[in-house]
Amino acid sequence: MNSLPHSTTRRRFLRGLGACLALPSLETLLPRASAAAAPGLATTAGGVPLRMAFVYFPNGAIHEHFWPSGQGADFTFKRTLEPLEKVKASVQVLSGLEHRNAEPGPDGAGDHARANGAFLTGVRVKKTAGADIHAGVSIDQLAAQHIGQLTRFPSLELSADAVRKSGSCDSGYSCAYEYNLAWRSPTTPLAGEPNPRLVFERLFGGGSHGERAGNFAQRQQQQRSILDFVIDDARALQRNLTHRDKDKLDEYLTNVREIEQRIARAEQFGTTPDPAADTPAGIPADYQAHIRLMYEMLALAFETDSTRVATFLLAHDGSNRPFPELTIAEGHHSLSHHRNDPAMIEKVALIDQFYAAQFAWFLEKLAAAKDADGTSVLHNSMIVYGCGNSDGNRHTHHNLPIVLAGNGGGTITPGQFRTLAPAPMCNLFLTMLDQMRVPPVERFGDSTGRLAV
Amino acid sequence: MIPPRRHSHSPGSWLAACALALAAPFAAAAPADTTALFEKEVRPILEEHCFDCHGDGEKKGQVAFDAFGSTAELAKQTDLWMSVLTNVRAGLMPPAKEPRLPAAAQHVLEKWIKTGAFGFDPANPDPGRVTLRRLNRVEYRNTVRDLMGVDFRADAEFPADDAGYGFDNIGDVLSTSPLLLEKYMQAADTIVAQAVPLVSRALPEHTIAADDFAGKHGAPNRDGALVLSLYENADLTHRFHIAQAGTYRVAVPATIFGSFDFDPGRATVTVRIDGKEAWKQELKWKDREALAIASEQKFEPGDYDVRFTVEPLTGLDKKPAIRPGESATHVNVDFGGVKLRGPLEREHWTMTPGYDRFFTRPDPPADRAAWPGYAAEVLRRFATRAFRRPVDDVAVEKLTAIAARAWEAKGTGFEQGVARAMTAVLASPRFLFRVEETQPGAAPGTHPFIDEYALASRLSYFLWSTMPDEELTAHAARGELRANLAAQVRRLLADPRAEQLVSNFAGQWLQTRDVESVSIDARVVQARDAGTEAEGKQRREQFHQINEDIDVATRAGDETRVAELKKELNEMRLKFFGGKRVEFSAELRTAMRGEAEMFFSHLLREDRSALELLDADYTFLNEPLAQHYGIPGVQGREMRLVKLPPDSPRGGVLTMGSTLAVTSNPTRTSPVKRGLFILDNILGTPTPPPPPDVAALDESGKDAAGHELSFREALAQHREKPLCASCHNRMDPLGLAFENFNAMGLWREQERGQPIPSVAGQLISGERFDGVRALKHILVTERRDDFYRCLTTKMLTYALGRGPEPCDVPAIDAIVERLQRENGRLTAIVIGIIESAPFQKRRAEL
Repeated sequence: MNSLPHSTTRRRFLRGLGACLALPSLETLLPRASAAAAPGLATTAGGVPLRMAFVYFPNGAIHEHFWPSGQGADFTFKRTLEPLEKVKASVQVLSGLEHRNAEPGPDGAGDHARANGAFLTGVRVKKTAGADIHAGVSIDQLAAQHIGQLTRFPSLELSADAVRKSGSCDSGYSCAYEYNLAWRSPTTPLAGEPNPRLVFERLFGGGSHGERAGNFAQRQQQQRSILDFVIDDARALQRNLTHRDKDKLDEYLTNVREIEQRIARAEQFGTTPDPAADTPAGIPADYQAHIRLMYEMLALAFETDSTRVATFLLAHDGSNRPFPELTIAEGHHSLSHHRNDPAMIEKVALIDQFYAAQFAWFLEKLAAAKDADGTSVLHNSMIVYGCGNSDGNRHTHHNLPIVLAGNGGGTITPGQFRTLAPAPMCNLFLTMLDQMRVPPVERFGDSTGRLAV
Repeated sequence: MIPPRRHSHSPGSWLAACALALAAPFAAAAPADTTALFEKEVRPILEEHCFDCHGDGEKKGQVAFDAFGSTAELAKQTDLWMSVLTNVRAGLMPPAKEPRLPAAAQHVLEKWIKTGAFGFDPANPDPGRVTLRRLNRVEYRNTVRDLMGVDFRADAEFPADDAGYGFDNIGDVLSTSPLLLEKYMQAADTIVAQAVPLVSRALPEHTIAADDFAGKHGAPNRDGALVLSLYENADLTHRFHIAQAGTYRVAVPATIFGSFDFDPGRATVTVRIDGKEAWKQELKWKDREALAIASEQKFEPGDYDVRFTVEPLTGLDKKPAIRPGESATHVNVDFGGVKLRGPLEREHWTMTPGYDRFFTRPDPPADRAAWPGYAAEVLRRFATRAFRRPVDDVAVEKLTAIAARAWEAKGTGFEQGVARAMTAVLASPRFLFRVEETQPGAAPGTHPFIDEYALASRLSYFLWSTMPDEELTAHAARGELRANLAAQVRRLLADPRAEQLVSNFAGQWLQTRDVESVSIDARVVQARDAGTEAEGKQRREQFHQINEDIDVATRAGDETRVAELKKELNEMRLKFFGGKRVEFSAELRTAMRGEAEMFFSHLLREDRSALELLDADYTFLNEPLAQHYGIPGVQGREMRLVKLPPDSPRGGVLTMGSTLAVTSNPTRTSPVKRGLFILDNILGTPTPPPPPDVAALDESGKDAAGHELSFREALAQHREKPLCASCHNRMDPLGLAFENFNAMGLWREQERGQPIPSVAGQLISGERFDGVRALKHILVTERRDDFYRCLTTKMLTYALGRGPEPCDVPAIDAIVERLQRENGRLTAIVIGIIESAPFQKRRAEL
């Protein structure tokens, strides 16, 4: 059994006591970077990097259009996933997966916050508007803890949802649950970056092609010189703090140490890759252009092996974005409560298809990117595309709309539509972890076992 | 009913924090007194007024006062007592149909809850506990501006801050991620590079604008240059003063601009300094060429003339005739004034702009051995400002060591090393977090005051969203801030930086920040009012189709087809919109935000009553917004105070465009959102979220016969379900009162082509109103204290950066009483908060 769930529980236990005992350092939740990488870790049989990504679309799906007809290898996409036709052989559609922890249970309203919060953590997020957010370590971060040391960045968090509302979010839940997919610890969400320019500069350095590696190295050198001071300062400060103040500083220290490790790692990796591409200008006004740029950043990160773990929040669950580009004036969330009105269903189906089309564009891009072993980056990836809400109208969390793309380096058999007996989404996550060849993790979230893929 | 306890974490509720208060060492009063007093005075009140539903076997809303085994146990139910207090005060309990609680009884009950259940000790009030606050994006940007003198766009560079309790400055919620930390480190580099000068002195430079020259004709162009034709005489002069003897370089930025085609014009251009020729050249046509006009010479102190002349060598008669279909050729010289640089001798160079913000001496010591000592001096001063409190010797030593390490590299100057150390300061947790210390010497068992540095920061971040200025810090350093608190608060409020309180507090409380981005589709909203939704939809589809056809034709390269389609598109635009775009324009949205914020700012600056926020006979408008509201006589784009016509439904934030828009859906109004807005932000009694397994309100559904329901019908149907009624009876009437305002805040008489039905209604506490004006009146009279309490609670939350707790009730009550005495002065809330125990003190640690 992995040490993680143990320390997480202990932390929660201590917090439950409300005691001002020193909490265990978050170190226990951190990558054991020094540990020598096990052979085959996050690597395919062909010896090239194996990547995993999780893409979230909001507000569930219209099931009659989402699920293909047919079964197994003999299936036909319906309109929502129809854009995936060109990469059909590289995707499998999975029905029957569920997130029971997103259901209301004792917590009442707030399905969007729970759906978003549980999607990659598998846990029931704590219902609170502020003081004491608590979710769980997300699957991508658990993976990053084991394989993050293999790449320049342990993981990459992206978002195409740049605008945030003032005030509180869904029915008494902190906005943190709705706007974050990745959780490094149960109390530390990792915000996605919506600005493609900033993603690019973070990965490859600022400036134009040819100067970036130099700029990147210079920046790291400068950072290193101030890290010691900053760490000492935080430690000195920590001695005088108690309670949650200490937690806050703990969080800061953990992050600083992570940067320290990253710099050390960057040196170990040698020269920073410098893609022969222009640095993106910023967030484009056009939504489709924005989404595609973010996918492009993700593709670049995978192609350059800058990371092997990524999350991408297209829009937060409950997003009420209208789609003027599809001549849809109403907000997506309002529409998703369609009460079986055909006109509203039609509009939601168009939105679902819009998101699927962007995903298809991304997969085609990965399929066209040659990998070192002669196959494609898509072949050597596992990419989950889905939502923590199943039926947006009724707020259900079983039979989630899930697509798993990529061949996992050859260990996955895509090109099928599988109707599974109801099983936790977390079972799929555990299987994906196994594919990454990390030391076996017994349980994750509400998992009950593994899912054969 | 009292909300079931499982809803206790609803937004705006303060119940969540009660557990903390219970764990606090000073929260519990002597249980014997508490229970005895309860038995003697409180129980009889509850038995008479509450037990019909909440005792003797009745358990409405899952609340029964006699279900806790013992009185001591009952007294410990902080959540429950907070609900009782809120509901009784708001007139929600006992329900409107039952007899009201007599004033004397209510007083007894309130007093017992505060002292008994919450353990309030007037001699040593519990200030609650504020979690270490990270600077949010706004505070970071402002602090960097004040500390470094540069504007760093934190809002564009950093990820958005999470919000809690409706505000984005809540310590518990402001987390740091690896991404943010990385950005902080990068920002520190960027900011220091931009702000800290790496050389102490620079060559002095003085610019004389072309516009300042005598003898000019016409105004300069956008670049500030005078455009002179080579065909016309020009004679421009200016007298300048030299104070310091030395060598100066006089440069004239000038460029020849010719037309695309050759022009034969020529002229002699001469620059004379004090009558002596400094530069002379014959100029002729070039399409574009910068001239290198410069002269170096020695000057003694005194006044000198500089003169720039153009003497044409070509008559206008030589100008080529204009050929049909072509424009005239020309050749001009753009005269950009004079740049005077000097004295060039280094000993006369002046201090680099911004140098003295960071460095205390005009130059670093010549002797490198003296560098560390001076660096320590500079860095101590800087870190003390950046950390907003004195910095310890160890940290100064370490910072100096960073500078010293940087100096080891070849060619690294003193300033460069110090700048590197400054980067470390900006990445330090003591800069990024607001570390608070307490005043020593508190009596054992009492809650200590925060020290004066912490108080200075609380004041400046509350009122200005930035670091304390020099005066505040100086007061804190001398330990005189508390003694001069009132005067300092007045000074801070009078400062322009107090606008930050408006945009950050009011901007979030009233959600005016959101009006610029809220999704509203003007066409659909208007079509809905007019009852032409179906046509509108059809029209949109037509437009969409044509646009798609244009794309197809463009790809096919069929230009004729593209032109045809574009023509068709224009004709359709003309036909449907008279060529005008129907939109909820950015300009209008900005004016709406301005209206609300200027209004709040006005109340603060003129020290007016907070009640005007709800009901006023004036507002702030410019022409577009006045037109939107249908108010005549306002011209121009500038926002100004406008007295409203006597019958106007406007006045007060509830009928401002920004409030009406942010509480709407993209295509229609939402009476539920509007009602909830008032409950949450005005009355302070938000409804709990809907219970589990209840579908969201069907606001656009159909009845069994397939007949499409109006909102009002759908809402009414919803209220028939008992489960929904308890909350919707509170929200809906409030929201429906605003149905005459559409989603853009535009007045309307009809929706879907039908007249808006009566907007009369009733508050859950019993008061009846016949429309918006009467509702506003009720809010400022019968429900006045609820509003006072709500606004105070919201502002306290913002000021402290934490959610409200039961231990805050006495402080809030004291401020409400003060408002009652002082006619609701808005500043009484600000000052009341600043003087309160939660703001002044810190909960003692065990």
